Amino acid sequence: MKCPLRKRLPRELKSDFGKYAVIFILMTLTIGFSSGFLVATESISASFDEGYEKYNIENGNFETYTELTDEQISEIEENAITVYNNNYVEAQTDDNKTIRIFAIREEVNKVCLMEGKMPDKLDEIALDRAFSNNNDISVGDSIVISGKEKKVTGFVALSDYSSLFSDNSETMFDATAFSVAVVTKAELESFGEDNYHYSYSWLYDNEPEDEAAEKEVSDELLTKINSISPLVSFTPRYLNQAINYARDDTSGDATIMAVLLYIMIAIMAFVFAVTISNTITKEAGTIGTLRASGYTKAELIRHYLAMPIIVTLISAVVGNISGYTIFRVMCAAMYYNSYSLTTYVTHWSASAFLKTTVVPIAIMLVITLGVLARKLSLSPLSFLRHELKRHQRKKAFKLNTKIPIFTRFRIRIIFQNIANYITLLVGIIFANVLLVFGLGLPDVLDNYQDDITSNMIAEYQYILKAPVETEVEGAEKFSLQSLENTLEGYENEEVSVYGIDADSEYIDADFSAEGIYISDGLAEKYSYKKGDSITLSDKYSKDSYEFKIAGIYKYPSSFAVFMDNESYISTFDLEDGYYTGYFSNESLDDIDESLIATVIDKQELTKISRQLDVSMGDLMYMVDAFAIIIFAVIIFLLSKIIVEKNASSISMTKILGYTNREINRLYTTATTIVVVICLIGTIPLSTYLMKLFFAYMMKTQMTGWFPLNLSATVYVKMAAIGLITYFIVSLLQRKKIARVPLGEALKNAE
Amino acid sequence: MFLKIHNLQKFYGDGENRIQVLKGIDAEIEKGEMCVLLGPSGSGKTTLLNILGGIETAEEGYVSINGDKIKDMSEKNLTLYRRKHLGYIFQMYNLIPNLNIKENIEVGAYLSDNPLDVDDILKTLGLYEHRHKLPNQLSGGQQQRTAIGRAIVKNPDILLCDEPTGALDYKTSKEILGLIQQINEKYGSTVIMVTHNDAIKNMADRVIKLRDGAVRKNYLNEQKISAEMLEW
Repeated sequence: MKCPLRKRLPRELKSDFGKYAVIFILMTLTIGFSSGFLVATESISASFDEGYEKYNIENGNFETYTELTDEQISEIEENAITVYNNNYVEAQTDDNKTIRIFAIREEVNKVCLMEGKMPDKLDEIALDRAFSNNNDISVGDSIVISGKEKKVTGFVALSDYSSLFSDNSETMFDATAFSVAVVTKAELESFGEDNYHYSYSWLYDNEPEDEAAEKEVSDELLTKINSISPLVSFTPRYLNQAINYARDDTSGDATIMAVLLYIMIAIMAFVFAVTISNTITKEAGTIGTLRASGYTKAELIRHYLAMPIIVTLISAVVGNISGYTIFRVMCAAMYYNSYSLTTYVTHWSASAFLKTTVVPIAIMLVITLGVLARKLSLSPLSFLRHELKRHQRKKAFKLNTKIPIFTRFRIRIIFQNIANYITLLVGIIFANVLLVFGLGLPDVLDNYQDDITSNMIAEYQYILKAPVETEVEGAEKFSLQSLENTLEGYENEEVSVYGIDADSEYIDADFSAEGIYISDGLAEKYSYKKGDSITLSDKYSKDSYEFKIAGIYKYPSSFAVFMDNESYISTFDLEDGYYTGYFSNESLDDIDESLIATVIDKQELTKISRQLDVSMGDLMYMVDAFAIIIFAVIIFLLSKIIVEKNASSISMTKILGYTNREINRLYTTATTIVVVICLIGTIPLSTYLMKLFFAYMMKTQMTGWFPLNLSATVYVKMAAIGLITYFIVSLLQRKKIARVPLGEALKNAE
Repeated sequence: MFLKIHNLQKFYGDGENRIQVLKGIDAEIEKGEMCVLLGPSGSGKTTLLNILGGIETAEEGYVSINGDKIKDMSEKNLTLYRRKHLGYIFQMYNLIPNLNIKENIEVGAYLSDNPLDVDDILKTLGLYEHRHKLPNQLSGGQQQRTAIGRAIVKNPDILLCDEPTGALDYKTSKEILGLIQQINEKYGSTVIMVTHNDAIKNMADRVIKLRDGAVRKNYLNEQKISAEMLEW
């Protein structure tokens, strides 16, 4: 005979449909989104792996100041590599966007055509897809490059530019202001050799075994090439952000998504546990009778465990289906929005299935089982006597009788339902953390952008290819080079080293003391302080320099150190009067453009925040929506449980003559007090947790630094969202209280 | 002897607050007897019943049923013992609210390898036409009948009843008592019933009167009457 208790399950589902529907929807959405996300990221990662062979992606690239001769190339190839010409020109559009133009690649770093066709004539160009989307360019449009009109024949993704980094030292790519493109060989030549960047890609004849072996081989190669022809840059593949950044991002995001999923499931498991716990309390007499009649603890545990597991299982199935269909497309689009990815094929991932089905069920099982095993371990007699607390309080704790009766009543309601409220607190903390992220990040990016622009050294920093004088008043010479901060336990990061005029009008720092000034971001990320030492190394020559930190300088734009130019010249053994550029608040129009390597202006400095704004814009809205859903569900479910648990008392107060309004003042207000305290009280904790997480991410996953500085409006918005959500839910609870029948109190009177 | 109670002692509390609720109970009950445990509130009758049912333990003494001492049984074996041999009826019916009457009885039937026929039980209890109703659609008496059905469907050796008519009116109480008597006669279950209602002793085969945790009287009722003849 099958256990007749199982017939309760569909009826329970029907009678409490609202509750189960809400839990089901939340779990399905969470699992669906996570599943879609994991499938999308794994598919994209798989396409990266396959792409190395499919597109014959380089093992590294280097750029020289002058074109290599055949003999030089042969000499380099003695290091068991094959070198390929990958020259490019960089040109500006009429709206000051930078386009790095290559000839169509035939052998290495091949191109993926995403839309349209490849150019086959002069004045035709195929642009990067992501850049085109960000700039509202369509196939068939014309764009002006270096003053000449070019027809856009198609959109492409270059396999060595999945992230549009114009320079490997950048903290963030900028798919709005920088693009890559391909043209015919003849079209490239039409730009003139004077504009060429002599860039070469290489492939190993035999792939190194691992990254350590690759580093060793590439270090040797670097030394060799540098001795043959001075290098502008040298970037082995394993360090190339343009190739690796997107891939690293997807795998990092997948980890975070899995963690978020498990936290959500754990919260839902606790909600279930609280619900079941209340059911057990309500059915204590029945449970006692069943246990006394011979039902085992295991049989009852199985019975009460069934519904959470069934709901989780169905959510997992439906979630996975929607994940593989709807959410996968959405999540892939989020990446395609930011990155210049080649096309991918959906990989049906066993690990994604495991993570989004087996693990959530396991979490639900463990938590609910733990609670049930504990709750049902009481003796049959305890259930029969409704003595369900392990440590029975003998008397109610005293409250001062001067406190008004309604207030005392509310206090007792709060303490009576403390387990529910603690679960509510955890859910609110989690939702608030999401809100800090969702509402805060755009705010942080705006503040960061403002911070950068208000702390710029000058409107323009001109980096020159060769020394040249200017007549523009106010222009001030400086020196600049890039070194690396090589702190143990951290990835190497580029640091700009500035040599500044001792009487600089642009840098307000006292260089009379021994030592250097470091930028505030550098200090914050690596916990440097005044008096510490910092060691910076030359990436290519491996020379290292130790400096004492004399102070911290506010310069949020990048990692930088500042010293007076004399010390700079002395440290790097340069000739007197050495300089590499100008600070100026005016444009230096009298300098020949061909002598300018780069101009750092406001657009350049705010690249990181603009790109993050574009990349994360949609995600932020989704995170906010998710947080609101969590608020609503948690508050709704837990306040519902409180009303149900107190149905008998609510009914009795109605019988005594209290109006619904007065009863709401007791029960709904008690919950309101707790919710308001939790919502507002947990904002600092949520912010702190988010700051910890953010700092961890910045230190381990990203180069550069920007602090999570939130303005007060974020907190106001957080509180407002929580309170409005609660207000709507509380209206539903008032209706529920109004529906509690008067006869409830008269049932099972003992 | 089917059921033997020997020097049963039970204490509650500790230290200064320790009180003895059973002060050495001795009794023997024959198989198939209807035995009433009678006494005022606080006399220890429910405690005694709970110990007989294996849901409470005594500090001293023992209960043996068919030679098996309950105190020697592990938790697991006690559960098994209750499953196979005992039926419980309480003052509060403790039915499962979202199962109908027939299903509530099937909850009891599930525990037995050879349960009685559920429809027969329903007919015996006069609930057959109500079998698809939920507990909240029945009167108190009908609910208690259902609880009785749940208890007897597994054909227990012993039926333990703790104030089964406590929540019922006079007329319904007599009906329920009649039913219990009928079950005792029809199925041969040994019935041990706790009550504070003195009149009920007249329907019993054996009466054990308790006061202050001790047996004051233990006798066979020579003038047993049917439940419908009871008056109080």
